[in-house]
Amino acid sequence: MKFELKNSLAPLSALSKIFEHPQTLCYPEVKSETVSGYRGFHINDLSTCIGCANCQDVCMNEAIDMIAIDKDKNPKNNSGCIPRIDYGRCCWCSLCTDVCPPDSLKLESECIWADDDANRFLYQPKDKPC
Amino acid sequence: MERKVITIYHGPQHPGITGNMSVELDLMGETITRARTHVGYLHRGFEKLIERRTIIQAFTIVCRICVPEPDPNEANFALAVERLAGIEVSERASYIRVMVLEMARLGAQLLWMAGQSGSVGLGTVGQWSIYDRDLILDLFEQLTGGRVYHMYIYPGGVRRELPDGFLERLSALLDYLQKRLDAYDRLFFDNASFQKRAIGVGVVRGEEVLRRGFSGQVLRGCGFARDLRRDNPYLLYDQLEFDIPTQSAGDVYARALVRRAEMRESIRILRQVIAQMPEEGAIMQKLPKHRKFTLPKEDTYVAVESARGEFGYYMAGDGSEMIRRMQVKGPSLIHAFSLLEPLLVGEELSNVALIMNSLGICPPEIER
Repeated sequence: MKFELKNSLAPLSALSKIFEHPQTLCYPEVKSETVSGYRGFHINDLSTCIGCANCQDVCMNEAIDMIAIDKDKNPKNNSGCIPRIDYGRCCWCSLCTDVCPPDSLKLESECIWADDDANRFLYQPKDKPC
Repeated sequence: MERKVITIYHGPQHPGITGNMSVELDLMGETITRARTHVGYLHRGFEKLIERRTIIQAFTIVCRICVPEPDPNEANFALAVERLAGIEVSERASYIRVMVLEMARLGAQLLWMAGQSGSVGLGTVGQWSIYDRDLILDLFEQLTGGRVYHMYIYPGGVRRELPDGFLERLSALLDYLQKRLDAYDRLFFDNASFQKRAIGVGVVRGEEVLRRGFSGQVLRGCGFARDLRRDNPYLLYDQLEFDIPTQSAGDVYARALVRRAEMRESIRILRQVIAQMPEEGAIMQKLPKHRKFTLPKEDTYVAVESARGEFGYYMAGDGSEMIRRMQVKGPSLIHAFSLLEPLLVGEELSNVALIMNSLGICPPEIER
C-alpha cells in the first residue's frame, strides 16, 4: 500500500475536539440518570412478602437465606421468614424477583453501599432502600 | 559477539495481553524465536458448574464466559435448550435477539478498537471508542437492567419488553455512530502510523486457515467469505440483507479493515431490524416451572457468529432438570494455540500485542 501524506495529517482532525465540551460527568456533583428496571440492590415489601422461599430455591449462587422475623411481617407470611441476601455471592441476575409470587422482592437503583465490614453484606431487604 | 536467547513471560499482568493469559517468548535480541501460550490463570469451571444447576439457574452463568461480548453465549444457550426442549420462539422475540446480538457485536468491535489502537500507542482512539461503546451500554442498561452482563436472551424468548421509545433512541445512536465511523477512519484505520505497523505483520496464509478450523476475521481477512449468519442462518438472519466483508492480505491490517466494514454492516442490519420488527407479539413462551423444566435424553450443537468468530455450544440432556453436559467452543482456543504460537515466531517483541489483539483472543472462553 502506498503511504499518502493525507493519511499522516488526517489524525490531526482529532484536535477539533479540544473546543468541545467534555463528555465525562463530574461525579458526585453530577450523577447519571437512574434507569427504570436497573438490576441494583434488593428491596422487599414486607407487607406482601409471603415467605415462600421461591427466591432461595432459584438462586444459583445460594446467596439467599430465609431468616425468621418477629415484627412488620405480612399476616399471610406462614413461614415467618423473609429473605436475607449475601452480597458477597449475589450476581444480580434477578431470577429471585422473577419467581416472586406476590412481586414483593425487587431490584432498584437508589442504593449505594460501601462498607469495610464483610458481615454487613448479609442484608435483609426491607421496604425502603438501605 | 555471542548472541544469547532469553526467555520472558508476556503476561498475565501486561497491558498488551488481551486478558489473563501469558505468552512465553524466547527472544534473540528483539526477535521471537519461539512462543508458547500459557493459560490457567482464569479457570472458573463454568462447564462443570452448569452440570450442577437447573436450566434456569445455568442461564445466569453462561454470559460470564466472554466479558467483551456475552450475548452470543446467551443466544447459544437459549438456542440449544429450545432445540432440545422443542420450544418455538416468536418472531418479535427473534427480532429483539438479532438486535441485541448486533448491538453487542458493535460494542465488541469498539472495545477491540480500543485494544488494537492501544497496542500501537494511539491512545486517543481508545478513549473515543470506549465512550461510544458506553453509549451502547447505556441502551443495554435501559433494555436489560445491566450494562455488561445482560442475562436477557432467555430460553423461550427474551426477558423484558422494549422500554418506551427504545427503537427511536437506538436509531438516533446509529446515526451518531455512522458519523463516528468516518472519524475513526481518519483517526485510526487510514492513519499512516497504524498502517506502517500493521501491514505485512501477522500474516496468515490462505490454505492454512481452512485446514486448521480458524474463523471470524482471520478467515475473512484471507479472502474467505465465511460467516455463520449467512452459511448456517439462525434466528432471522436469512431475512436480512448484509454483506460479508473480506480482504485478501491476511495480515493485521486486513483483519482491521474487515472489522471496520463489519461495524457498518451491523449498523445496516440494526436499521433493518428497527424497520421490520413487529409492533406487537409475545416476547416469551410459556415455560415449565423451575424444577419441572427438563431436557430429553438427546444432544445438540448450535453455533452463532460472534464478533470474533464461530461460537458453538454442545449440550446434552439426560431427562432430568439438570444439563448433563455442556461444552463451549469459542474461537479463542484455536486462535491462541494453533495460530498465535507459530505466528509470533520471527516477529518483533513489539508486535506481540498487535497480533494478539488482531486475532481477538479472549482467555475466559479458553478456560471455561
